[in-house]
Amino acid sequence: MTDHKTVSIVMIEDDEGHARLIEKNIRRAGISNTITHFTDGTSALDYLFNAADGPQRNGPALVLLDLNLPDMSGTDILAKIKATDGPLRRTPVVVLTTTDDKVEIQRCYDLGCNVYITKPVNYESFAQAIRQLGLFLSVIQVPDMEPGG
Amino acid sequence: MAQRMVLGFGVTEGRMGRFLVAAMALGFAALIAAGIAAAWSTARNEAHTRDVNHTYEVELAIDRTRIAIEQSETTRRGFLLTGDPIYLDTYRSTMADLPTLIARIATLTRDNPLQQGNLAKLRALTDDLARQRERTIAAAQRGDRAAALALFVSETSAPRMRAVRTLAGAMAGEEQRLLAIRNAEQRASVRVFYTTLAIAGLLLVLVAAVTLATVLRYTRDLATSRDRVRDFADTLEAQVAERTADLTRANDEIQRFAYIVSHDLRSPLVNVMGFTAELEGAAATLCALIDRAEAHAPEIVTEDARLAAREDLPEAIGFIRSSTQKMDRLINAILKLSREGRRVIAPEPLDLTAMIDGITASLTQQLAQRGATVTVERPLPTIVSDRLATEQIFSNLIENAVKYLDPARVGQIVVRGKRDRARVTFEIEDNGRGIAPNDHSRVFDLFRRSGNQDQPGEGIGLAHVRTLAYRLGGVIDVASELGQGATFRLTLPVALTDATIVATSGKAP
Repeated sequence: MTDHKTVSIVMIEDDEGHARLIEKNIRRAGISNTITHFTDGTSALDYLFNAADGPQRNGPALVLLDLNLPDMSGTDILAKIKATDGPLRRTPVVVLTTTDDKVEIQRCYDLGCNVYITKPVNYESFAQAIRQLGLFLSVIQVPDMEPGG
Repeated sequence: MAQRMVLGFGVTEGRMGRFLVAAMALGFAALIAAGIAAAWSTARNEAHTRDVNHTYEVELAIDRTRIAIEQSETTRRGFLLTGDPIYLDTYRSTMADLPTLIARIATLTRDNPLQQGNLAKLRALTDDLARQRERTIAAAQRGDRAAALALFVSETSAPRMRAVRTLAGAMAGEEQRLLAIRNAEQRASVRVFYTTLAIAGLLLVLVAAVTLATVLRYTRDLATSRDRVRDFADTLEAQVAERTADLTRANDEIQRFAYIVSHDLRSPLVNVMGFTAELEGAAATLCALIDRAEAHAPEIVTEDARLAAREDLPEAIGFIRSSTQKMDRLINAILKLSREGRRVIAPEPLDLTAMIDGITASLTQQLAQRGATVTVERPLPTIVSDRLATEQIFSNLIENAVKYLDPARVGQIVVRGKRDRARVTFEIEDNGRGIAPNDHSRVFDLFRRSGNQDQPGEGIGLAHVRTLAYRLGGVIDVASELGQGATFRLTLPVALTDATIVATSGKAP
């Protein structure tokens, strides 16, 4: 786990408050990887696929994805990341959302989501969940990017 | 549209029926009148014919009498001329017949005083004649031909005969006059008869035509109505399908709305609760600082600062926390309801007796605590419906009954069911605290409760029950008085079919 620092976390979350709470709790879990935050799907996709310092050109990443975004559905982003021949298809995606609808959860896993977490309204549970996610992030192995693309 | 059409049929049918009956009645009355008239005129005709025949008979009798008188005169003259007794014999037999002949006329003309008068004169004349003739005949028989001749010459026989002839002529004339009248009457009655017959025939044709026309029109109208009903029935199915689709769409929309609203309300709530927790953490840090400051430098700690850190902040945070928690529960309730509405309903045969027993068993502890009993009037009817939804409904209702028992009475809860054609009505009756009548519809609304708020709850159970009942094609209502117990009445279809399921196909966002 020596290259942990190099794995950047891309957080796509339209709610600034949620983003702040998530970041706080990840930091509290002792994760110090860079977290890049986007509040809408378009700029997030642009960063993921096109930015010079984005995951596609610049090494491994992990995506924290909210499903309720103002400009597109989180599942659309998930589908684009996990597209069969896409360069980011092996990038782990953690769906972190308020939706706990069974159908939605199934759909996300069908699209290739790696972890699906429902944001608990209760803050203790929420903080707990994020910290555990942090623990999870500290042990997870992220594949290297394929060259080119 | 259906109502308007039915109304239209009704009016047409009534009007047609009344018109038909009136026309037929009138027609047949006219026919009967024509028949009576025909019979009457036939009878009249017969009477007239009889009268005419009678006149002919009278004429015949008069003629015979005339002939007899003439013949007797002829034979008498023959006897006077020849003295041959053959003439005398003929004379006698003819004279013998004369009274009979006159009597016949008398009988026939009994009703005619004019002819009776004439007859009296005729009788007088013939009697005179007979006496005169007897005298001449007697003289001739004595052989005294000269005396007989003298008598014949002197007698007024010739004028008498003329008088007789005139009288007979007058009588015949009278009969001729009567005959003319009677013939005219007969002809008139025949005319009346034929006229009546013609009118009757015309009426018959008219009634037949009107009746036929009416029946034809009626039949045509009926056929049109039948076609319209058939067309309507054909479109009915499409209309029902359309309405069902509309309903489903509306229901979907409500479900989606409930889902989106409840879902999107959670996001800000996460923030409120999250930052409240952060605030709490910060407050705790501040509190610790105040503590340290009090210990080390009490002069810098003001009363306000101490109060803010130790009381105001925790109190505010506590209220925010309890409120957000309540809001969370409410949102979850809406979410649960909307989710229940989107669940796929799977009808299967249900043994409700066993189901209620199961629910009762799960409530054993609460029942024992309150000393209450649940009585099931078995067997309950079996139905085909969704197991989960049905169980949820009954367990909510029975739990409610247990929850809101009156502590002053021994709790008794009765569950019964009765089938009525294609529907089954279940009753859950308790002797608990009851619900005031003006709260009856309110208790089924989401977050609304009734009576003393001494039991925990969010006002979700009955709203849930009603939603489920609707989904199963059923209805629920309550009959209750405050303090008198309550009876919840649930009506469900015996067999839930796809058509009765208020289907929803809304997808979660």
